[in-house]
Amino acid sequence: MVQAAGLAIHAMDRIDLQRLSQARNLAFRIVGLYRAVELTAPAARADVLGELRHGPGLSAELSAAPPVANLPEMPPREQRFWRINLNLVGMPPPHHWRGMQLLGGPAWHRIIVGMRLPDGEWLNVSAAIEPARPWHSPTFLAAFLLMTVVAAGLTLWAVRRLTAPVRTLAAAAEALGRDVNAPPLPEDGPLEVATAAAAFNTMAARIRRFVQDRTELLTAIGHDLRTPITRLKLRAEFIEDDEQRGKVLADLEELETMVSATLAFGRDARTGEAVSALDMAELLRTLLDEAGDARPEAASRLEYEGPAHWTVRARPLTLKRALTNLIANAVMYGGSARVRLVPPASVGAAGAMLTIEIEDDGPGIPPGELERVFEPFHRGEPSRNRETGGVGLGLPIARNIMRAHGGDVVLANRPAGGAKATATLPA
Amino acid sequence: MEQPPHIMVVDDDREIRDLLARFLEKHRLRVTAVRDCRDARRAWANGHYQLVVLDLMLPGEPGLDFARWLRSQSDVPIVMLTAMGEETDRIIGLELGADDYVPKPFNPRELLARIRAVLRRAGDSMGGPRHDGGSRPLRFAGWTLEPARRRLLNPDGVEVALTGGEYDLLLALAERANRVLTRDMLLDLLRGRQAGPFDRAIDVAISRLRRKLEDDGRNAQLIKTVRGGGYVLAATVEHA
Repeated sequence: MVQAAGLAIHAMDRIDLQRLSQARNLAFRIVGLYRAVELTAPAARADVLGELRHGPGLSAELSAAPPVANLPEMPPREQRFWRINLNLVGMPPPHHWRGMQLLGGPAWHRIIVGMRLPDGEWLNVSAAIEPARPWHSPTFLAAFLLMTVVAAGLTLWAVRRLTAPVRTLAAAAEALGRDVNAPPLPEDGPLEVATAAAAFNTMAARIRRFVQDRTELLTAIGHDLRTPITRLKLRAEFIEDDEQRGKVLADLEELETMVSATLAFGRDARTGEAVSALDMAELLRTLLDEAGDARPEAASRLEYEGPAHWTVRARPLTLKRALTNLIANAVMYGGSARVRLVPPASVGAAGAMLTIEIEDDGPGIPPGELERVFEPFHRGEPSRNRETGGVGLGLPIARNIMRAHGGDVVLANRPAGGAKATATLPA
Repeated sequence: MEQPPHIMVVDDDREIRDLLARFLEKHRLRVTAVRDCRDARRAWANGHYQLVVLDLMLPGEPGLDFARWLRSQSDVPIVMLTAMGEETDRIIGLELGADDYVPKPFNPRELLARIRAVLRRAGDSMGGPRHDGGSRPLRFAGWTLEPARRRLLNPDGVEVALTGGEYDLLLALAERANRVLTRDMLLDLLRGRQAGPFDRAIDVAISRLRRKLEDDGRNAQLIKTVRGGGYVLAATVEHA
């Protein structure tokens, strides 16, 4: 834009200059002619005029009348311009206005100037006007092009340099959202950028401390609950009434599930366990077997689909916990679980992902809840949770674990009804 | 009548100690319960025990140190009570030679089942030299069973998942390779784990194990069915 405007200014200026110099030049020549003719005796004028060299683009004739040509009268603006130029270079006063007639103009590429001589004869000069050529100089265009390219390059570089810290900041914010222990931003660069990075790091540290405090609190509560739960379980064994004992034990089981979920959430999904090779296909089948053992009435609706063996490298116990949670969710809310192991399309390619799909035939999840269910302690609609229990940590734990493995978990509703959890893992 | 096995319970919580003692006594075990490692050493010196239930989280001397000391004294089976999900304690404990572990808060019936399973394993090997604390890997037909991590590795070193019951079953079979284990004996290992119909539990678990060990069910070579109700692991087992 700026370049275009500059170019326009330059062109206009150049046009003006060219016109002015052309007009000056012509005016000199016309006035010169007039002077020469004026000083000559009327009888000799034609001969003198013939001998005078007019130079290119100029022709003059003597006439008894003002000029008549197939050109209209010059527009007022042009008239003023030409008169000023002619007068400036020494046209004698009587011709300043009435004694001079101007026809044509740049639009016709020609002007005719009629000047009345003192004895009433007219000297009519016709001059060709060259159109203004703003791009006359070839070096100009090359220089301009070079300037444009350099200016564009510099601008681009400057903008990128200025926005790079903003992009880094955005990426850091995104990373912090995914992982509260993401590495801090480098606090360098221009002062403003360094200050922003430092402020961001302070904020991240505060969030981290907050999350840590909360996690530690949860873990402490979880640890402290273990002793009373153990006591209660032992006490329950002394209840004579079988039915009551069963109920108490079931309640305690539920309580323990909550405590262990809380502890699992508190533990960092990354640390503690070594990565080793495991057979994912066999793990999924085993988890389905375990789910079926725990809920025999659902056992017939638990299916595995996929290769018989598929080796991945992962943290076995942690990964098992994540997948157990996903399968348990499907069984709890859908009463069924179809687990599909989809190997990556191209094995060994960079970014190739192994996909684990877990489908159920339950009521699905309201679209607004699909992401919110991954928030810790978020419970779906209250009615659903009252009978099924749960702390609202199963899915957050699963997502933490999958993300710590470089994968992810998302939920979706199936067109045919029911929900589908899709877990991914680098292949 | 046979003398009931004598169990030492080491736990710092008085209530748990008393309740656990009552619970185990109700199930025909003799129990001496102590508060910490000092009392445990004293009790060890004054009695004869078939098994020690040891809480790892003890005030004063850590449970692991006591386990190490105990192992230096005797081959007595140790069942550890560990903090839920604390892998390091568990693995160190098993590597020290504990025979099994139960995470706290434990299900009393499951603890009882584990105690019985360990006692049976120990009692079974009373005649001969007991293998090393049950913590060292067992190898058979290319497969590796790692008690320290309760896991099975295939010949390529890839972990093949097992349920708790399947693991106990396979361990029992591998520790007594080429000897027939009766269904009743194997059932004990699954007791307390299974919610479904119990009579089929063994068959289901065995068929899953055969699948995992790639042992053709109709022509099983590794886990063989013995007529009259038993199973045998037909393989040479090495203690690595």
